[in-house]
Amino acid sequence: MVEWKTDLGLEGRMLFTMFLLAAVYLGFLAFLTYMGTPAVFMLLFIALFMGAQYYYSDKLVLWTTGAQVVSETEEPKLHETITRLCVIAGLPKPTVAVVNTSVPNAFATGRGPKSAVVAVTTGLMNRLDQGELEAVLAHELSHVKNRDMAVLTIASFISTLAFYIVRYSFYFGGFGGGRRNNGGALIAIWIVSILVWIISFLLIRALSRYREFAADRGAALITGEPANLISALRKISGTMAKVPTEDLRKVEGMNAFFIIPAISGSMMNLLSTHPSMEKRIAALEKIQREIEL
Amino acid sequence: MGFRDMVNSVLGRSKVPEAKTDRLFAISTAVITLELDLNLKPSAVAGICFKAMDMSKYENARGEIEQLLQFSTKETGTDFTIEKDEYNFLWVILKDKDFEDLVTNIHMISQTLIEEGFGEQILCAVYRFESKGPVYWIYNFKQGSYYPFAPQGKSNRDNTLELRLKSLMEKELPIEKDVGKWYPLWSMPF
Repeated sequence: MVEWKTDLGLEGRMLFTMFLLAAVYLGFLAFLTYMGTPAVFMLLFIALFMGAQYYYSDKLVLWTTGAQVVSETEEPKLHETITRLCVIAGLPKPTVAVVNTSVPNAFATGRGPKSAVVAVTTGLMNRLDQGELEAVLAHELSHVKNRDMAVLTIASFISTLAFYIVRYSFYFGGFGGGRRNNGGALIAIWIVSILVWIISFLLIRALSRYREFAADRGAALITGEPANLISALRKISGTMAKVPTEDLRKVEGMNAFFIIPAISGSMMNLLSTHPSMEKRIAALEKIQREIEL
Repeated sequence: MGFRDMVNSVLGRSKVPEAKTDRLFAISTAVITLELDLNLKPSAVAGICFKAMDMSKYENARGEIEQLLQFSTKETGTDFTIEKDEYNFLWVILKDKDFEDLVTNIHMISQTLIEEGFGEQILCAVYRFESKGPVYWIYNFKQGSYYPFAPQGKSNRDNTLELRLKSLMEKELPIEKDVGKWYPLWSMPF
């Protein structure tokens, strides 16, 4: 097997995204401090929120998607497949969950390889053959191995914070801006928060798109067969388009986690969490050539 | 997590660990203790498991392994069969009363796979022993370590026996310390 070639363009973009994200966050914090938001209050809020996110993020994801953790006796084949992939990838075995829906999809969540959860829908298991299922599971395990979940969680944290500040900025204004021009400070915080929220939202989207390429590449490497992931992606995306969107509304916020976004179609490229199917397939075909020739 | 890991994690650069064969031979000396002191009889059968692929390069590697096996098994009198399990993994199953020959052949197969660039796709090597039921010693190439697997029925395992074997054999075999990596292999073809 050929060495995994480093894609400099991809890596540069990822580093740039992370750098910009960090800059936005630091700027935002500096601004809040300047506007006189009490530091104690800010720290407490951040600590509580981060703690909760750190400990409950995986459970929250399972809960919002309705995923049920399954034991080895309930789903022996799924467990065995994941076990083998984990041995090959050198990963600890994650918790395995199943979502009971005809929509074919899969996701991975958790704050690190040791607490990861990999979930697949019954629709996925029914539609894919063993090789394709293996490819999708390897894609999800690559997310775990790449620690995207941890990075995404950290990255989405301050954007969520900014979002809440936008919503509850009246209380913030009441706390902090007392000695200054109250109205002006309030509006300034509000505007900056909105800006931070929008920018970080776009950056996270961009980042998560590129991470999909990385996970596709990981899946190709773990299974040794990019062709299986190509046919799995084709099958899933083909059926996704036919599934009515009403069923999927509740999973809208979960899109960054899924192998195929639940809502697709007219959304602008900039906003989508996943690269287009053609681009993903083209990248996989390139890997196939690298491996075989 | 070191700095390199952190950079790699930001860049989404995962690496599949390569197969290590350096500690594979440890079992050929441990087998004496296993048989004489612990009453675990080697059952003269072993296997190596790797991912089957639809790929021309891989087909070449497989062909080479078959040729080498035909040659080396003639010398040692080992029987071998190749079969695919329900997960599309390939098993080369070896039968020989001489335990040393089993280990040599397993090493030869893994070495060929690694040289052909398929070291990432090797799952494990397994040696079957008998006590009250079958007890397997599984070599995890990625970790470079052994662990015991004592299945009971279809989905239970004798953890007490496995942990006892761990504490008794720790000095002679490189045993996987993380019990969480003692992956079971339920659909073992031998």
